[in-house]
Order: sequence, then structure tokens, then C-alpha cells
Amino acid sequence: MKMTAFKGVLAVAGIQLITATMALATDITVWCWAPEFNGAAMNEAIARYTAANPDTKITVVDFAKGDLETKLQTQLASGTTEGLPDIVLIEDYGAQKYLLSFPGAFEPLTDKIDYSQFAKYKVELATVEGQTYSLPFDSGVTGLFYRSDLLEQAGYKADALKDITWEELSAIGDKVKEVTGKPLLSVDMNDAGAIRIMLQSAGSWYFNADGTANIKDNPVFKAALTSWVGMLKNQNLYKSVSGWGDYTGAFNNGDVAGVFTGVWMTGGIKGNNMSGKWAVAPIPKLAGVEGAGHASNLGGSSWYVLSSAPSKDAAIDFLQKVWASDVDFYQKILVGQGAFAAYLPARDGEAYSAADAYFGGQSVWKDFSDWQAAIPGVNYGIFTNEADAAVTAQLPGLIDGGDIDAAIEAIDAQIAQQIQ
Amino acid sequence: MNRLISVVAQAGMWLAAFISVFPFLWMVTGATNTANDITGGRFLPGTNLFVNIAKFFELVDAGRVFFNSFFVAITGTALTLVVSSLAGYGFEIFASKARDRVFAGLLLLLSVPFAAMMIPLFVMFSGAGLINTYIAMIAPGVASIFMIFYFRQNTKSFPHELRDAAKLDGLKEHQIFWFIYIPVMRSTYAAAMIILFMTNWNAYLWPLIVLQTNEMKTITLTVASLATAYTPDYGLIMIANVLATLPTVLVFFLLQRRFVEGMLGGVK
Amino acid sequence: MQTLTRRENLTGWAFTAPALALLGLFMIYPILWSLYMSFMTGKGMNFKFGGFANVERLTKDPIFLHALGNTLTFLAIQVPIMIILALVFAVALNNPRLRGRAVLRTAIFLPCVTSLVVYSVLFKSMFAEDGVVNDALLFLHIISDPIPWMNDPFWAKVLIILAITWRWTGYNMVFYLAALQNIDPSIYEAARIDGVPARARFFKITIPMLRHVILFTTVLSTIGTLQLFDEVNNITASQGQGGRPADATLTLSLYIYNLTFRFMPSFGYAATISWVIVILVGLLSWAQFRLAREK
Repeated sequence: MKMTAFKGVLAVAGIQLITATMALATDITVWCWAPEFNGAAMNEAIARYTAANPDTKITVVDFAKGDLETKLQTQLASGTTEGLPDIVLIEDYGAQKYLLSFPGAFEPLTDKIDYSQFAKYKVELATVEGQTYSLPFDSGVTGLFYRSDLLEQAGYKADALKDITWEELSAIGDKVKEVTGKPLLSVDMNDAGAIRIMLQSAGSWYFNADGTANIKDNPVFKAALTSWVGMLKNQNLYKSVSGWGDYTGAFNNGDVAGVFTGVWMTGGIKGNNMSGKWAVAPIPKLAGVEGAGHASNLGGSSWYVLSSAPSKDAAIDFLQKVWASDVDFYQKILVGQGAFAAYLPARDGEAYSAADAYFGGQSVWKDFSDWQAAIPGVNYGIFTNEADAAVTAQLPGLIDGGDIDAAIEAIDAQIAQQIQ
Repeated sequence: MNRLISVVAQAGMWLAAFISVFPFLWMVTGATNTANDITGGRFLPGTNLFVNIAKFFELVDAGRVFFNSFFVAITGTALTLVVSSLAGYGFEIFASKARDRVFAGLLLLLSVPFAAMMIPLFVMFSGAGLINTYIAMIAPGVASIFMIFYFRQNTKSFPHELRDAAKLDGLKEHQIFWFIYIPVMRSTYAAAMIILFMTNWNAYLWPLIVLQTNEMKTITLTVASLATAYTPDYGLIMIANVLATLPTVLVFFLLQRRFVEGMLGGVK
Repeated sequence: MQTLTRRENLTGWAFTAPALALLGLFMIYPILWSLYMSFMTGKGMNFKFGGFANVERLTKDPIFLHALGNTLTFLAIQVPIMIILALVFAVALNNPRLRGRAVLRTAIFLPCVTSLVVYSVLFKSMFAEDGVVNDALLFLHIISDPIPWMNDPFWAKVLIILAITWRWTGYNMVFYLAALQNIDPSIYEAARIDGVPARARFFKITIPMLRHVILFTTVLSTIGTLQLFDEVNNITASQGQGGRPADATLTLSLYIYNLTFRFMPSFGYAATISWVIVILVGLLSWAQFRLAREK
């Protein structure tokens, strides 16, 4: 009865009712965020696939990242599969959360994809009980992007930035500020990204493999927090910003001389008409921590197939044919979007070894490849957002001179409370 | 002394008006600047307006997006006006103990946070096969508790003599509503229309949940998506902001004359 | 209360029926669902009956208490400021001697037509540390160092209060203006002839005559502030997480949202917190109605 009334209204209003059930078997829908990055890479893949499979229509729908997560979580929780896409992009930090809280929602691809061809840490984070669910997409391998012209003025050549500690970076910041008048970094105090980078660079994380919090008795966490707070106390080192636009604006404008972040920022940095003035160094390492290195990861995401998807098989075929085999495709999105692949054979392509004039002739992609190989794999667990919130809550107090052990105690307590 | 007060009042009001309008000026000048000028805090008109506009129309299916926004806002506003004013009128004119209890209960309904109701609402609409439709976007807001409250409050100033006279003339209850109440209360309706149009136009969280395809997206959702790029282009975002705000401003200006007219010539 | 005939009583139900039917359809089921969920514990859709475990968790959760404190702070400061400003503006605009009334009214009302998305972007860029607001304050020598609007727990709260006040004062003002237009000017005229001073006219005539609409706007603003979500999830947000910095602007509604959509989903616990809001609204509205009646 309710339905007929609704349909009557529909007919009167002349509205087309679009539902997933009406979709043809070869319609594939993809959800992602960042149309200029993920969306553009996906569209390139679609163009390649549909050239060979003209019957297949693949549509990309983009949302803001937080919005996409809200939508996905609502739909999965509602238990209704209608309207879900066939393929969805999920950030690596959230992978385990989705896989564990919505069992059965995602299609295992273990038998369909040759995972030995992908960066190992990306495969591990999408694996639950022996099944792997993702098509690993972009890497978040980290680097220290810096303005070579400004650092040279301050007396630092490329070699001076290799094999340094975070404390040494802080000292370099003093000198850069003194000579050029510009801070070295832009920092958003609400972003725990730096802590995550430091933790993973030493093969550690907020959580143990069994999911319990790894805060209180974790020397790496203490070292990371201490280093980061030390850097934040050095007002010369950074420009304080708030929000993402402000953060990227600072180095894109030339207000600050550098940024340490994921490789996916390369495209944004190259969009600035500052050719020859940029370079990339490995990130500094945690001093006095065993196993700490210069390679880490920030962000990055992967494609997942929904097991309820009406065009599941076609979606998997699409991922296999392009995303898990087309080396040339990866060259194209590397050059076009700066999307750095987790697909290892892609690195043998020519784009990956080319020197880049924007970075003063440095072979940046080759460097990133080398660093990527050294990233320690960690299990992100399911509570990364909660842990981030607990850490950033303590930062203002610590910068004002708060006691580090008391703060760690508080972070541990907050996380323990949240993960029950 | 009185003069001083009136000078201070005059100056204070102009300052308040300036603060109110300033972000709009910031938005409009921003739309003419490049992304780097905007984050750099430039507050002068630039020369990038047409570049920003071109980029917007290249990235966004503007016709479709604006059609969706207008369709949802207009239909939603019209339906809400009718349903909620009927109820507001009913609650006030035919006040009874039972209905007053129901009315008080509405207040509590209003206090349930929307985030807590999104999942079950979504389950209902997907069960009815209505995900990704205009109906799903509009229906939950049609019986607006806020508007029912608003119409009940305003009905208090609807003169009882008018009703009594109409009844003597033999008008039925629904005729009194359509032919006496609505014309007399047109100022109330004009104000409600402005408010409802902007609420529907600006709706964000719920449309986000029920819309699945690019064909159904509204301008509000489009702006949100543009604003969260890895390297946001503020020039583009500002022009999108201007275009997303323009219709609500226009509706306000269009209705404003009626709104004022109605207020002055309406119920005394 | 008037006595209604049976027929009138039925007509009353007929007028309210469409709205009540829709509300029943779109609110009762979701509310029952959330009531049911508030007794459940677990991760995501793996939940089980937990009795009052969620209520117990409330009492031990420092973040909940923090969010509650923030929400009540916003309520206690923002609502009175906005209501008083709106009232003052309305009375000023109702005075025929004020020049440029149409322009002023339009300008002050205008902020509420912007969408949340647009206004968050604008406020974020205007209130950046090197943004146009700090530039102006520095230029006028009101401050000597830029204010860290979004990175300092105190200033972030101030920013949220400023933002809400900017957006909603004109909106509330319009309700008062409409109500003021309905007051017979001869009442003021008579008072003026009797030598009643302006201030007394305001408190003895204007306020009592506007009692209903003030109650109406206060109750609605109270509900709006107890559910405060949009601003703190968008303006004081970074990397998609709202309530920054250091949870200084975390509100109850945002915490519910985080528990439902951002964190490992804890639907039951989130539902329990939404019932806290319902109870708070019930108590506060009851108190406000009592107060208005006594006047």
C-alpha cells in the first residue's frame, strides 16, 4: 500500500526512479574521494578497460573523504546492500576497522590477485584471517620535500639532509629561519600524522598485534612523542596552521620551505610554478631507537570490492586487467597525478626511473621506490582514529611544558576507555 | 543625550551590518583570485575570475546539479509549508488537552539528534526502494516540527473575529483556512518560505546519505567534494561558494519585498 | 482552555493528521531503534544485549563528560548573547528614526542563507592565523600577536561562538521584528505621553509583548545548541576530524557522530548519549516554559 502510494506520487511528479536493481550487469560503480587524484587515476584505468570492453560502463562517484566514510558506514550498518557501489576506495588506516566490523561485506580477492606483485605492507593491512581483500593502490611512502633554493641559501645541500635525526632537522629549521626568514615547516597541531610517521619508521604502532594499546610501555611511542613535542616547542621551525587547505597553502605559496609527508603530495607540489626549486630527502629518523629508519608511510589507500555488488565479477576483472597488470597505466598516472603505485612491476617502467626537472633533475620516483622497499610493515588495527584523537588532545598541554609521562598515562587511559 | 544614543545606535547597527556582510565580500573577491592569493589573505579583486569559472564548469555538470538543487528546494518548501501550517493552525485554533500533550511530545522528538536517527531512516528508505530518489531527500523534512511550532506561535495573532465572521458567513473549516487564514498570514508564509528554501537548498547530511549517483547530487554536496581535495584550489572553491549561495540570496531578495509588505499590511 | 464541540475536536485532528502521520512514519521507528540499540554493546553490527552497560560506561567516560561540559558551556554563553543581540537589533530596526533600515535588516539577516559547507570554508580561511581577521585586528592595534583561533582551546571555543552568533542572530531577529510589527504603536504612544522612559518601555512593554516569541526562539536555540554539530565538525576540524583542538570544541552530537561513523562503530553507546540530550532538552524546556509562565 505504502509502495503504491509512493509510486503514484512518482508517476505524477515524473521522476525517474533509479535503483541498483535496474542496473545492467555490466554497470560498475566506483566510490572515491579526491577527484583530481584518485578520481583521475580511476578514470584513466576506466578508459583503458572500456577500450577493450566496450559493453562495460564504469562510473566514478566522488565524495569528500569523510562523507564517503559516513555513507559507507551507514549503508553497511543498515544491512541493506541496495545502492552500494561495486568498488570503493578505503584509506589504509581504516581498512581493518571496516573488514572487522562488517564481516562478509567485502569480497576476498586472495585467489584472484597475485599479491606477491604488491608492496608487502599494503597487502598485510588488508588481510584478515588469511584472506586479503584489497587491490592495493597508492603508496604513502614518506619523504622530506624541501625548497632546495632556500636550503642552499642557509648552507644545506642535499647530502646535509640525509641520515639526520628529527632533532637535527629542528636545528636546520633554526638556521633556515635565521637566513631566509621563512620557517621550514607548516604544522597543524591537530594532525597526528607526524607521530604516525615516526612510529611506523621504527616498526611500531599505537597497538600491539593482538589489538591491545601499545602506549604506556612502548619506548618508540615515548621517543616519537618526545621528539615531536620538542619540535613543536621550537617556534622557529614551523608556521602554525589550521586545516588542510592552510597546511598545503603554506608550502604551495612559498611561505615555508618544506614539508614531510606522503608521496601523494608530489602532484600538488609540482603544480606551483617553482620548477628546479624543490628536492626530496628521506625523512629524519628517531634518535636512540633500535630499528628506527628513514622510511615510513602516511596515508595511502586501496580499492575494495563489495561482496554484494551486482557486477562483482566484472569489477574484479577490471581490477585484474588494469590495476594488477598494466605497467603502462601506472606510468601514466605517475606522470599525470603523481600517484605512486604499490604495484611493484610498475617500477620497471620508464617513468619511475626518469629524472624530474621540477626537482632539479633528481630521480625522485626512484628514490621513493627505494624508500618504499624499506617501510616496516605494521598492523594498523582498528582504532587509529581514536588513538589520534587521544594523542592530539594532549599536545597543547605538552607544548606548554606538561610532563611527558603524565601525558602518556592520559593517552593510554583514553585509548583504553575508547577501545572497549 | 538622546542624540548621542541614537548616533551610537546608528553606528552600532552599521557595524553589525558590516560584520554580517563581510564574509560575503571575502567570498566574492576570493572568486576573482588564485588559490595562492586567497590563502595568502589577499583582499583585493584579482584577475582570475574567468579561469575559476571555466574550471568550475569543466569539473561540474552544472545544469544537472542546479536542477537537482532547485527541484528539491522548491518541492520541499511547498510541501512543508502546506503540511506544517495546517498542523500549526490545527494545534492553535482547536487547542485541546490531548492535542497539547501531543504538541509537547513533538518538542521531545525535536530533541533527538539526527545522527542517532540516520541509520534507521536509511533502513526504511532502502526497504521502500527509494534510495537515490528525490522523495528520499525531501520526505523526512516535510512535517517540520520547527515549522509547526512557528505556525502555531503566529496563529496566536490570527484574529478570532475573522474566524467567527467567516463562520457566520457559512464558510467551512477548510475554506476558512484556505481563503481567510492563508491570505491574512501571508507575511508569516513569506518568512517561512525564505527559511524553508534555504534549509532545503543547504541540506547536507541526509542528502549525502541517500544519494548515490552523480546525476542526483546537489550543489551543496558538490561544493563539499571540491573543498576536500588533496591540494584544494581555493579560487575554484570560492566561485563554487558564490554559485551555491546566489540562489538563496536571490530568493531572499525576491521574497523580501512581500515579506516586508506582508508584515506591514498584515495582521495588526 | 476553550471547550470544543465534538465536531471541532475532530476537525482539529484532521488538520494535524498529515503532519502527525509523517512524523510517526519518519521519527517513531528511528527513535524506537535508537532506544533498542541503547541496550546493546559491541563492535559495528556484532552487537549483543548489554543491559545498562552503556549507562555505566557513560559515568566512566572522561570524553563524554568533557563533551557534556563543552556543550553546556556553549549553551550558557552563546544562547543568551545571541538572543539579546537579536532583540536589541530588532528593537533598533523597529525605530522609524533609524536610517537605512531596509539595508540594515537585509544585511544582518543575510548570514543565515549561506550553507554550512560554504560558511565553514569562509570562516576557516578568514580565521586562519595569517588570515584576514587577524590582519585586520593587528592593523587596528587591537592585538599585538595573531590569535591562534583554531589551535588554542580557548580561542577555538570563542570562534565557534562567533560563528554561530554570526549565522543565527539575524535569523532570530526576524522573528522579533515580525512580532514587534504586530504590537499596536498606540501602546507606545500612550506610554510616551505618560512620560515612561525608553528603558522602561522596553522592559515593561516590549519584553512582555514578545514573551511568546522569546520563549519560542530560546527553546529552539537551546535545542539547536545541545545538538551543536555542524560548526564543530567543519570549522574546528582538520583531516576530517572535528572538535579540535584537543577536543576543546567536542560536543555531545559530534561525539555521537564520531562513535557512529568515524570510530569503530559503537551504535549502542552512541544511542545512549543521544538519550542524554533528549533528557537535557526535556528538563531545560520545562524550566524555560515554567519561567515564561511565571512572568
